[in-house]
Amino acid sequence: MSKPFFTVYCLIIYAFLLTPIAVVVIASFNAGAFLTFPPQGLSFRWYVVFFNNEVFMRAIRTSLWIAAVTMVISGIIGTTAAIFYVQYSGRLKEAVRIAMLAPLLLPEVLTAIALLFFVYSIGIGTQTMFGMIIGHVLITLPFVFINVSASMESYDPSWSMAAQSLGAGRFTRFRRIMLPLIKPGVIGGCLFAFIISFDIFTISFMLKNVGTSTLPIQLFDYLRTNFTPEAAAVSTCSIVLTLIVVVISEKMLGLRLHRF
Amino acid sequence: MTEVSIEKLTKDYGQGPAVNGISIRIAEGEFISLLGPSGCGKTTTLKMIAGFEDATEGAIRFDGRDVVHVPVEKRDIGMVFQNYALFPHMTVEKNLAFGLEMRKISKAEIRERITKVLDMVQLAGYAERYPRQLSGGQQQRVALARALVIEPKILLLDEPLANLDAKLREEMRVFIRDLQRRVGITTVYVTHDQAEAMTMSDRVVVMFGGRIAQIGTPSDIYERPSNLEVAEFVGQVNIIRGKVGSGTISTPFGNLPAAGAYADGTEIMLALRPEAVELLPVNSGTSGVPAKVRSSYYSGSLVDYRLDLADGATVNVQTFPRTRFADGDEVLIHAPVDRFWPLGPIRGTEA
Repeated sequence: MSKPFFTVYCLIIYAFLLTPIAVVVIASFNAGAFLTFPPQGLSFRWYVVFFNNEVFMRAIRTSLWIAAVTMVISGIIGTTAAIFYVQYSGRLKEAVRIAMLAPLLLPEVLTAIALLFFVYSIGIGTQTMFGMIIGHVLITLPFVFINVSASMESYDPSWSMAAQSLGAGRFTRFRRIMLPLIKPGVIGGCLFAFIISFDIFTISFMLKNVGTSTLPIQLFDYLRTNFTPEAAAVSTCSIVLTLIVVVISEKMLGLRLHRF
Repeated sequence: MTEVSIEKLTKDYGQGPAVNGISIRIAEGEFISLLGPSGCGKTTTLKMIAGFEDATEGAIRFDGRDVVHVPVEKRDIGMVFQNYALFPHMTVEKNLAFGLEMRKISKAEIRERITKVLDMVQLAGYAERYPRQLSGGQQQRVALARALVIEPKILLLDEPLANLDAKLREEMRVFIRDLQRRVGITTVYVTHDQAEAMTMSDRVVVMFGGRIAQIGTPSDIYERPSNLEVAEFVGQVNIIRGKVGSGTISTPFGNLPAAGAYADGTEIMLALRPEAVELLPVNSGTSGVPAKVRSSYYSGSLVDYRLDLADGATVNVQTFPRTRFADGDEVLIHAPVDRFWPLGPIRGTEA
């Protein structure tokens, strides 16, 4: 492909990806009463409405809390799984990888239905957030796994051996040698887990307990009966939040985040 | 200082033994090399001494105490890895401090010991550098310092010079050997390079197929190899046929006194090193076996000759290039009787 053609090609793709986001952001500053484009006058009024809307605020807090819990659990399971996969899985390596990535390959709605059966059959049900968190962990696990395995592939096992020969036990070797050296993958994976959990709809919708709502669910509920620019304001805040996380991770980790 | 005793050590991964019942006694402060081709079991043996591999059978004793069931981190060893294995996220100083911190040594003493060991490996002033800011040879010396600073019972080196270029490798040989002598630490060195093993070691253990072929000083190994395999592995060698008869061995180079108990009529192999032979001009008036120069290779300090004998055999000879012979020249080969070493009977000729 010639260079100018390639440039144009890229621009079209970016436009295709980013236009809807731009439309939402612009629409959120609409001064009018309805979600329309182009906006009728500019104003922050819908942001004020949004920040004073206790239902949305509660949904955001719930989403952040679930994303944080999911990130921690996914981070621990995904990291240990990646260490096992790279160093100890031996002939089972390919099987372990496919098993770990399976949640990515299945349609989310199938996973959600299966989990719904599962939580009821083992008696957890949907009275607590437990089932929903299981679902979020399941979906975000592959992202932690991929990131940490990428870091682990460049981890030289002789570093651990050297530490061991110098007198370091299992836990010290992990804390002082391995963890600092695979940190970029662990942090990158955890941030992915956080962002994706914040965004999950189908699983949350099926497994949420009565009375709680995550932000995506609350937004969906709201749009069924209302059509004000407040929805765009909510979306914009959500986009900004994601963007902040991405920028922080880029600043901290640079391009290593994209190594897989 | 520690005496190490390895007794009937065996490692079997399930497809036949990788190390097969070897026994070595290593004296206090001795430098021992395990020498052999890849897959001979030398690295597996080292890993068992270190504790990274469990022994299937046998004992490893440090000063009489069996350490087979002691985990690596409690064995008190210093190990240098082929790729150095320096911690990339720590400075030289932090790398060196790691083992000392594991031993709960005070901050002041850690600082003192690091200064001393950096001096010893000639890297004073490099404490704040990261491994990636050092050359291969410098990283090698940090790895050595890291292994020695904890004052371990025994120093283990796994092909530590394999990743260095030829000139640096020779410098490091001398450096490691001098350092080991000064510290006086019992050392096991694994290598597949016979020159390395010979120049550095007090004794060399030659291994093939999981067994010890010979243990001896470098000159034992080179001049008095126990069999053909050892003779060929530690350097170039000419195999001369000899026939035993009434107390002598007759060879194309004359008769030798029969060493060892061979029955009359047995044909045996004799090892003759290429540099043990002198080449003389035909008209020099001395006795010798006539031969013809087929080809020669000049390498500065030495010339390598391929010679054809009258009976069609080929002999390799290395000499100093004082008198040069051209291809096709007739020469006399003079080989002192005491430079032939019997390697055993040629199979099927035992009488």
